[in-house]
Amino acid sequence: MNPTLVGFIRKEFRQALRDKRMRVVIFVIPVVQMTLFGLALSNEVKNIRLSVQAPPGDRLMSDLRDAALGSGWFLPAPTEGDPVRLLETGQADAVLIAPGGGATRARDRGEGRAQLLIDGTNALRARAIDNYVHVLLRRVSAEDVRAPPVIFDVRTLYNPTMATAVYLVPGVMGLILGLITILLTSMSLAREREMGTLETLLAAPVARWEIFVGKTLPFVLLGLADVPLLVGFARVVFGVPVRGPLWALALNAGAFVVTMVAVGTLISTFAKNQQQAMMGGFLFLFPAIQLSGVMAPVENFPLWAKPMAWLNPIQYFVSLNRQIMLRGAVGPLFWMEWSALCALGAVVAFWAAARLNRNAA
Amino acid sequence: MSVFSLPRALSIARKEVRHVRRDPFTLAMAVGVPVLLVVFFGYVLDFDVRDIRLAVVDRDRTPASRALADAFTASGHFRPHGPPDVPAARLLEEGRVKAALFIEPGFGADVDRAVPARAQIVIDGADNQTAGVIAGYLDGVATVAARRLGADPPGDLLRTRFLFNNELNSRWFVVTGLFVVVMGVLSILMTALTVAREWETGSMELLLATPVRPLEMILGKLAPYLGLCLAGTGLIYAAARVLFHVPFRGGLLFFVASTVLFLCCTLAQGLLISVLTRQQQLAMQFSNLTGLLPVLLLSGFTFPVESMPAFFRVLTWFLPARHYMELCRGIILKGAGPLALARPVLWLAALAAGLITLASVKFKRDLEP
Repeated sequence: MNPTLVGFIRKEFRQALRDKRMRVVIFVIPVVQMTLFGLALSNEVKNIRLSVQAPPGDRLMSDLRDAALGSGWFLPAPTEGDPVRLLETGQADAVLIAPGGGATRARDRGEGRAQLLIDGTNALRARAIDNYVHVLLRRVSAEDVRAPPVIFDVRTLYNPTMATAVYLVPGVMGLILGLITILLTSMSLAREREMGTLETLLAAPVARWEIFVGKTLPFVLLGLADVPLLVGFARVVFGVPVRGPLWALALNAGAFVVTMVAVGTLISTFAKNQQQAMMGGFLFLFPAIQLSGVMAPVENFPLWAKPMAWLNPIQYFVSLNRQIMLRGAVGPLFWMEWSALCALGAVVAFWAAARLNRNAA
Repeated sequence: MSVFSLPRALSIARKEVRHVRRDPFTLAMAVGVPVLLVVFFGYVLDFDVRDIRLAVVDRDRTPASRALADAFTASGHFRPHGPPDVPAARLLEEGRVKAALFIEPGFGADVDRAVPARAQIVIDGADNQTAGVIAGYLDGVATVAARRLGADPPGDLLRTRFLFNNELNSRWFVVTGLFVVVMGVLSILMTALTVAREWETGSMELLLATPVRPLEMILGKLAPYLGLCLAGTGLIYAAARVLFHVPFRGGLLFFVASTVLFLCCTLAQGLLISVLTRQQQLAMQFSNLTGLLPVLLLSGFTFPVESMPAFFRVLTWFLPARHYMELCRGIILKGAGPLALARPVLWLAALAAGLITLASVKFKRDLEP
């Protein structure tokens, strides 16, 4: 192998791994964060604080309350007090108010209605709460013993228990890997420029491409070292399946890490000092994370914003990773998205190289 | 010598203001970028699930089965999708549809005999959130279908009212959340490098030779950035009101006060990182790692804090953005007052005091090695 490149790799590795805190940043924090987010995050609607305000002896309402608390989705909330106030202070997420005389009597006479007040600030959660309470009411209400005319048999594919972690972890993996590679790369060149060592490097008898490859390859290797770590943890701790072939996983991770290192290098060619490199990293990462499909589904973006998702390496990695790990499908869609990721990487790499060359000249 | 002298803190602040004035990039990052990010993503992000692509496999081919398929479209949540010659299983596997409806022969006959008729729904569960929403819609679809098939649906005993957001507009929720997240991350980044840079360039030696005390140093460095971030907040506030018509139901003074508390927390967090690492590269990595993802994912922006396991809910108490998120949504969307929101305010105050003290103490240790 080219001795200059070996020298570069050795120098960058030494610089990156010399500091114990850096070793923690590269190898420990990614795993800790993935574990943390995998365990903590859940987009299920749980722990709904429900306050049931009904006169004593209202069978229907007390049955409903028992069914709600027994279902595991609800928590009890104070049953006294102004309903609006309860919602405003967040002591309750929903308040169920029986009509005067109680809901049991209202049902038997066929007049009067119970009212369900829901905190609507989170629309998604509000809709789910409304749905839960309706289903529960139908279950406890004796009126509905007769079978409904249409019954759905529901089967859920790929993630039968609908565990959040299984869906989220392959995505969070992309966020963490992208964050680490951008952070490592974007500041390294800016640092050399700020310290003045870039001048020395340019004056040294090495070719321009050797500088470019030498400054980027070590970070590709460091980023790739995190991949087996993250995948292993995802399998062991969260039981995320890896249904597709491992080579597909490697292809995806390889293309992604190379692209992100190229993006980081490009950012650093624009930065005059480390502070600007850091802000530039944020300016790229924040939108890229929002548009990655982890925070909100890509299909929901307005039409004019979708092209931006197509220029987002994290979005491709997350989508491909989910295809490989959860669906186990390596089909036309896989190759299409993978080629797009590669093309994106190539364009950014050439751009970065051209800018580096021009800056150096 | 006193522990704190206002003139000395002000001189540090004045020095810091000069730094910022000379660097238009920082100015733009603090004031211009936040409002751009909030506006842009306020339009882009949408957590509602609609237009769910549904493959319909009707092997019954009776009026009843067609009525059932129509009920899905009529509900407004589903859109039939997929060429009829491709097997539904393949469409699901490739992610081209999110769910498939299978109606087997005999469905129409069951409806005619008035016995419960069964149909199968297969949902792509890889995305568990969408899957959950789809499963939730089925109840409503069954009611619509029953009505179309001539059965009388059970009467509704319950009437629902959504408070604070009658039309369940998720945009307000997104915009207030974005505001917290953007300011939260940016303010950490703002101060993260300021002390580390002085160590790297050597100007810290000069500052240490002056009579300035740690607390003066920390507060003096914090104040100018607080001003900058407040200006950024003002712009976002205007944009949220004008462009997104976010209602502002609470007290303005209360909102400003809690914003100051929050920014003190995050700016002090950045300073603490800077004091501890003394090196710009490390400072940036730590601030991004402790700032970006935790603020985005654990603050309650999209993933509700209420749904976290108890241990992690306790952990989020130490995240300033989580309390400010509660405050912002409480003040802006619900119009709640200081009494209703006393807990998050007290937490923010405690965290701000704690972080500023910690940064000063750590700074002092460096002075006397």
